Amino acid sequence: MERVYKKAVGVKKFLNEEYIEVGADDFRDICTYLEKKQGAFRLMFAADERRIDGTFKIYVVFSIHGKDAFAVIVLPLKDALFYPSLTVNIPAAHWYEREIKDLFGLTAERHPDLRRLVLHDAFPAEVYPLRKDHCFKEREWVREKIEDKKIRSYEDKKDTTSQLLSFPTSYSFMQVEGEGIYEIPVGPVHAGIIEPGHFRFSAVGETIFFLEPRLFYTHKGTEKHFEGMSFSEGVKLAERVSGTSSFSHATAYCLAVERMSGIEITEKAKAVRTLLLELERLYNNIGDIGNMCAGTGLAVGYALGAVTKEKLMQLNDRLTGSRYLRGANVIGGVTKDVFQQADDILNTLDIVTKEYKSLMKLLLGTISHVERLENTGRLSKELAQKLGVTGVVARASGINDDIRKAHPHLLYDRLYFEPHTSVRGDVFARMTVRAAEVECSISMIDTLMESGYKGELATAVKDIRPYSHALGYTETPRGSVFYWVMSDEKGRPMRVKLRSPSFCNWPAVPFAVHGNIVPDFPLCNKSFNLSYSGCDM
Amino acid sequence: MIISPEDKAHFVDLQKGIDSIFGRSLRIRQVDAGSCNACEWECTALTNPVYDIQRFGLDFVASPRHADMLLVTGPVSKQMELALRKTYLATPGPRIVLACGDCTVDGGVYKGSYAVTNGVANVIPVDFYIPGCPPSPMRILTGIRKLLAVLIGKQAGEMM
Repeated sequence: MERVYKKAVGVKKFLNEEYIEVGADDFRDICTYLEKKQGAFRLMFAADERRIDGTFKIYVVFSIHGKDAFAVIVLPLKDALFYPSLTVNIPAAHWYEREIKDLFGLTAERHPDLRRLVLHDAFPAEVYPLRKDHCFKEREWVREKIEDKKIRSYEDKKDTTSQLLSFPTSYSFMQVEGEGIYEIPVGPVHAGIIEPGHFRFSAVGETIFFLEPRLFYTHKGTEKHFEGMSFSEGVKLAERVSGTSSFSHATAYCLAVERMSGIEITEKAKAVRTLLLELERLYNNIGDIGNMCAGTGLAVGYALGAVTKEKLMQLNDRLTGSRYLRGANVIGGVTKDVFQQADDILNTLDIVTKEYKSLMKLLLGTISHVERLENTGRLSKELAQKLGVTGVVARASGINDDIRKAHPHLLYDRLYFEPHTSVRGDVFARMTVRAAEVECSISMIDTLMESGYKGELATAVKDIRPYSHALGYTETPRGSVFYWVMSDEKGRPMRVKLRSPSFCNWPAVPFAVHGNIVPDFPLCNKSFNLSYSGCDM
Repeated sequence: MIISPEDKAHFVDLQKGIDSIFGRSLRIRQVDAGSCNACEWECTALTNPVYDIQRFGLDFVASPRHADMLLVTGPVSKQMELALRKTYLATPGPRIVLACGDCTVDGGVYKGSYAVTNGVANVIPVDFYIPGCPPSPMRILTGIRKLLAVLIGKQAGEMM
């Protein structure tokens, strides 16, 4: 780290975060050095701080190997709307830099692919919604463009359809040319009950030669929307970023705000949060194992998984009043003491454990199922590391990374667990890692239930100092989630950056499906189980 | 344990409604117009053995061309607006549009964001809403039952 400090313009320390300000000339070198030698690339984002010191700032967050510390490289951009691209040296930065370009209009110099990512044609060029001077009036352009009277008249069917179909598109997909190569466009409205996204396959016979996903159809402007709310209202929004990770998102957001304002939550609140995080992981992982059966056509496995998941969802409902554990988190603690329903939790867990075990026995004993999973959708460790994937996908490719272990929070430092990894990197590995996590969650919940916890459910909220900021993070069922919050002069949100695990893992999907057959794509996709809404924000 | 007797009582009416209006089969096309995915999972849960909606003649189909009803979720993000209109036009009439979830009403928690259109009715005409964030599978079923009751009422009105 000495090498980094020597070049730093300024260093500020806050809890386990170290903010290291650097100049544009050293930016790429320092980041590359940190990524190669010191730690893991976590996220990258921009903030419009022109109101404070007249600069845009680029933040790059690394977690340092072997200790609970983050190094945050800060690059202020004064009078410049460009910065040196990291993508060439750190491929994981690819999507982040495109995102910053779309939302802030800051260009990464020498980035290999500067097509738009987040914003589609519904948004005209030169509209940068996350800049502070992006005002409401600018938002009206979309309505003018699409809201042609003829398009609005639903009955004039023929006319409208032809108009809609001729809607211009400026996005150019990667072209694959050669003998026998044909394209299969899929989406954004899919055949199943899943979220919208467009996939462009270039196939040779049945084999996928190249896949280009075009996502961000569900972009809802979440980060900007946070800025219009108070910090405590933001919990509600954080819960609705990604449906099946509601509680983890809310927890990461609350932790960020609590760290920023110096709120120390009670042991009880920590215990409730840890318990609910594990319950969320449990229902997701069991549901995912069941869902993979839908990809192989094993109806009985799918049905059994769905029933077990349903029991856990109904338990969630009884515990918190929401099947998705919504409303359980507030800034400063939690709203429900779920330990009062300990019997219910343990009884349900007993049933679930039994059902889960017989499900796994069935799945592993069904050769036709296992055969489809093995060697399908392989993601090598090398690629996974380069692309910066996280969560189950990373662990199934042999990367021993779990934010609960790397940066212990809540009660995770007291619980014994080891992240389960596999070297295979295929769909089968992703299933076995999920299975190991199910067992791990069950034993963690059992351990948590054994002792009593002291303290109130929630502590009082403190005033937030102007321009303070902090990171919040936790492990969702899909991987690590990060929130970075910053307050403005009145103590309201000035910038909220959220990075969901799906944003890291989506770029890995095309690599995993390369060389597989088209009918295996749903299976690969299900084994990743990524959230579109979480990624699109 | 899983479904209460009161809830089961709804099923009788539901079955009657589907039999009388839709000739025993009501086909639904689900369209995610920017939801957080919770509503989708509740729709998926409807097809699990606990709720098992196929037994009533209800089912989710793969194409809007096969559907009697569109079940739309989400506040309609601007990037999904066009796709939603196209899906609507691809659905043969007479079609029912059922908007599912709080954010379909007025954008819900996303109301006022630069990237959403604040509710399904701003994009395509909506016939019925099911509130909830997300509405539980049972609530969606009850909603469909009530919708059928309204349709039966309308039919009776037309006959007279």
